[in-house]
Amino acid sequence: MRSGMTRSARSGVPLLALGVLLLVVPALAHHGWSWTEDGQFRLEGIITDIYIGNPHATLDVDVEGESWRVELAPPSRTIAAGFDEGAAAPGDEVVAIGNRSRDESERRMKAARIIVGGNTYNVYPGRAPPS
Amino acid sequence: MGPEEWGEEGVAGLEFLSAIETSAPVEALKRSFYVYPLVNALHILSIGALLTGVFLMDLRILGFLLAQPQAPFVRLMRRLALTAFLGAAVTGTLMFGVRATEYVANPAFALKMVLILLSGANMLVFLHFSARPNDQARRGAGRVLGLLSIVLWLGVLVCGRLIGFL
Repeated sequence: MRSGMTRSARSGVPLLALGVLLLVVPALAHHGWSWTEDGQFRLEGIITDIYIGNPHATLDVDVEGESWRVELAPPSRTIAAGFDEGAAAPGDEVVAIGNRSRDESERRMKAARIIVGGNTYNVYPGRAPPS
Repeated sequence: MGPEEWGEEGVAGLEFLSAIETSAPVEALKRSFYVYPLVNALHILSIGALLTGVFLMDLRILGFLLAQPQAPFVRLMRRLALTAFLGAAVTGTLMFGVRATEYVANPAFALKMVLILLSGANMLVFLHFSARPNDQARRGAGRVLGLLSIVLWLGVLVCGRLIGFL
């Protein structure tokens, strides 16, 4: 039994490493808003790609030659906000308002509001600033 | 890294992934309100059943649950685990297909696939040992492999959860 315990203890090391990984990684999380900065962020650029689908919609936006990923809500919520495939097309100018990733090396944000062609879409109305 | 640096095989792979993304069932899943969460729920159900089967099987191999006769119990749990794995693979492939080109670049997804392969290899090694006479060496190897199996599958579980967070 004693040797069994030692083996368990030794094999516990990778488990412990996994646990530590679990604690550290949620700082990068894209689910929810915990991975974003608190302060409001505004991005202006040209849409290069639109994805409206599960698990959540995204825009790829070109900002002065740099490609940004703008995350929106799940498709049902994004479409309910009025933003569906007909609302915008690659080449359109877009303003995205929301929160950017805490990781500054990452060109990624989550939008509460997007403005395309003079239309405003509040994909997270509770988080969008007053109009 | 851009497509121009991937070489011919990389581009062919990417085209294959794009073809999955635009296939009819995956397109439907992309926009579905009910089906996607349902597939997601079935994936979780499969994982629950899979890890239950694996853990109970491994615990018996490790010398716990001694009230259960080893051979039939391990067989039953392995059957449960393999069936559940099939369910997890089908539902997982569907969800992967929705954004195949994104997930393929996700480090948590890559690690998860590696850990699944290692778990499979671990099972094959265990089956190899099972065919040998039941001596001290075989029991020792079984315990090490059983413990490794638990660690690997926990790793698969955690990596799977992390895919949505990277």
